[in-house]
Amino acid sequence: MIPQNAGYFHAAYAVAAIVYGVYIVSLLRRSHTVKEKLLKSRESSVASRE
Amino acid sequence: MSESVVRDSTPATVPAERYAAGGIDWLLVVAILAVIGTFIRAIYFTPVEATQGPAQKIFYVHAPSAFVALYLAFALVAVASALFLWLKDLKLDRVAASSAEVGVVFTTVVLTTGPIWGKEIWGTWWTWDARLTATLFLWFLFVGYLVMRGAIEDRMMRARYSAVLGLLGALLIPFIHLSVYLFRTLHPMPIVLKPSAPSLPPGMLHTLLFAFGSFALLYVALLRFRYRLAAARDELDAREGA
Repeated sequence: MIPQNAGYFHAAYAVAAIVYGVYIVSLLRRSHTVKEKLLKSRESSVASRE
Repeated sequence: MSESVVRDSTPATVPAERYAAGGIDWLLVVAILAVIGTFIRAIYFTPVEATQGPAQKIFYVHAPSAFVALYLAFALVAVASALFLWLKDLKLDRVAASSAEVGVVFTTVVLTTGPIWGKEIWGTWWTWDARLTATLFLWFLFVGYLVMRGAIEDRMMRARYSAVLGLLGALLIPFIHLSVYLFRTLHPMPIVLKPSAPSLPPGMLHTLLFAFGSFALLYVALLRFRYRLAAARDELDAREGA
């Protein structure tokens, strides 16, 4: 008789999705912050040249 | 700073303006879809193992994540670190740091899905056997690697210390791989990465190979994204310092 233990693999898949998902969101947020700072840096360098 | 020549070829290849104006990372989108496809295939289209039941399907996330962490992510840290110590190119340091961070994420998945599987099959969340303990030690070591990088301000010193620690950490990889042969352990022997043919029925083997491919693609996409972020941040630091 096959054990009825699907809850364990559901939990494991949920944990994996959360870990990878949180990391991807953290990368996107960090990337967004750096992009904003780069744009500000470019704008300030253009303004100082003018 | 070291007297030897320090190279940094990245600003010429990844201009900050192009990075700042960049849109959707399509490789990352494809990789995420591939991993979702792996989950769906494993849940709905892969046979249930007779003795372990559905809990065995944890295998399709646990094993590929471990494969990517050990044999791709941390192995690349070792190679890039060794090359950095030789060539002193900061591009290699960024590759090593990016791969270490992504490797820690994959190892976190290994160390969380493993105990869930172990609780059902072994009757315990954790056991201090050689493979589990060495993997936990590897995770702590590379978390320490990332913390150390944040604590050192001097760019060259950070890169050099990280390269040494990254190389030493990677020495655990062959030990972890061979631990199931060298020690008495609850952890099963490899069923795919072994000298003889894989001992899995075709339905399970195909899902596992699909999972290896999709998680490897996710690793490549995350590494590429993280590397570009590191290059842009270095360029930003250089502009702010100028």
